[in-house]
Amino acid sequence: MSEHVHAHEHSHHITPFGTLMATFIKLAILMAATIAWAFFAPQILGNTPISSVINNLVALGIACVKAWLVIQIFMGVKFQSNVVKTYAILGFVWMTLMFTMFADYGTRQWEPVQGWTPGDTQQALPRADQPYEEAIPPRSKINIPEGKH
Amino acid sequence: MAISLDKMNQPQDVVYEQFEDLGQQQETYVLGMWAFLVTEVMFFGIMFLAYTIYRWKYQPYFYALHQELDWKIGGLNTFILLMSSFSVALAVHFHQRKMKMPVLLCLGFTNLCALAFLVIKLLFEYIPKWNKGHYPGPGFSWDSTYIPANIAQLWYSLYFGTTGLHALHVVIGIILFSVLMFLIAKDHPIISDYLPTEMLGLYWHFVDLVWIFLYPLYYLMPK
Repeated sequence: MSEHVHAHEHSHHITPFGTLMATFIKLAILMAATIAWAFFAPQILGNTPISSVINNLVALGIACVKAWLVIQIFMGVKFQSNVVKTYAILGFVWMTLMFTMFADYGTRQWEPVQGWTPGDTQQALPRADQPYEEAIPPRSKINIPEGKH
Repeated sequence: MAISLDKMNQPQDVVYEQFEDLGQQQETYVLGMWAFLVTEVMFFGIMFLAYTIYRWKYQPYFYALHQELDWKIGGLNTFILLMSSFSVALAVHFHQRKMKMPVLLCLGFTNLCALAFLVIKLLFEYIPKWNKGHYPGPGFSWDSTYIPANIAQLWYSLYFGTTGLHALHVVIGIILFSVLMFLIAKDHPIISDYLPTEMLGLYWHFVDLVWIFLYPLYYLMPK
């Protein structure tokens, strides 16, 4: 074993300090962008159902760019072999598949579940007499004043 | 034996007999860590899925409920985690260059950031909510006229479940970083190259990654 010592001393990639520093600054700027977007988006987009979707997509888009920077530079996947790269994307491929499959939930009526109605004030109790569809008002009919909860 | 802090004293870059060369050995370690991180992505993924399904259903209520969370506290914690992530990346960088004292300083700073994250979370978020009875469980109390109690319980289950799981990872990170710092300071033979720092760094970056998505989803929710 001893003859292997120091045999491949420089086989690994050392990410330069400047690259790490630049990545940190980029991440801090993107963090500020996330916060700024959350406050300015309602003024830019107005207050319609579609603007909420766009707002979410942009916020998560920024988060994805941040995640990409962290994975590529801080975690060093950019400098790793292809097999490590494959493992690094595996979890996120699985996430995408899972979310795609569960998109089904958004396209169906939920099954009425006993005891899960907004009428219960403290805990879930069976309310077989109350139809579920009446219990949950449609989104447009829910009006909660700003700052009240 | 006096402990030297200026350079790594133990034999470095030892290739163990089951590996062809150092490159293969290092790749194997990193690959194993990523295999673990895939299971972590699955673990947290299901929390994000539950959040997505219920927010899709109860968006107006969730928006009202999220107003209790302070984006400034969340933002501060985001920045603290970002700094800690950067300092772990620096620790790996210095360990690759076999500079012992900078490695220990960087890991120490990371641990401080992790502790600060937990203290801020406990003092400004968990404990005030706990005192108001805003947590899922038998002591739950709710007096809103606008939001049904069961939807509020659902929200607090998601909030405490997801951020609690994340906080648990931070606690585990603090313990592991402390052990690693001790072993590096002692020149323990188990630290035969920079890979232990690298692998723990991967874990910590993942903890940061989770928070990168949690922050906009829980603290900066659009109406």
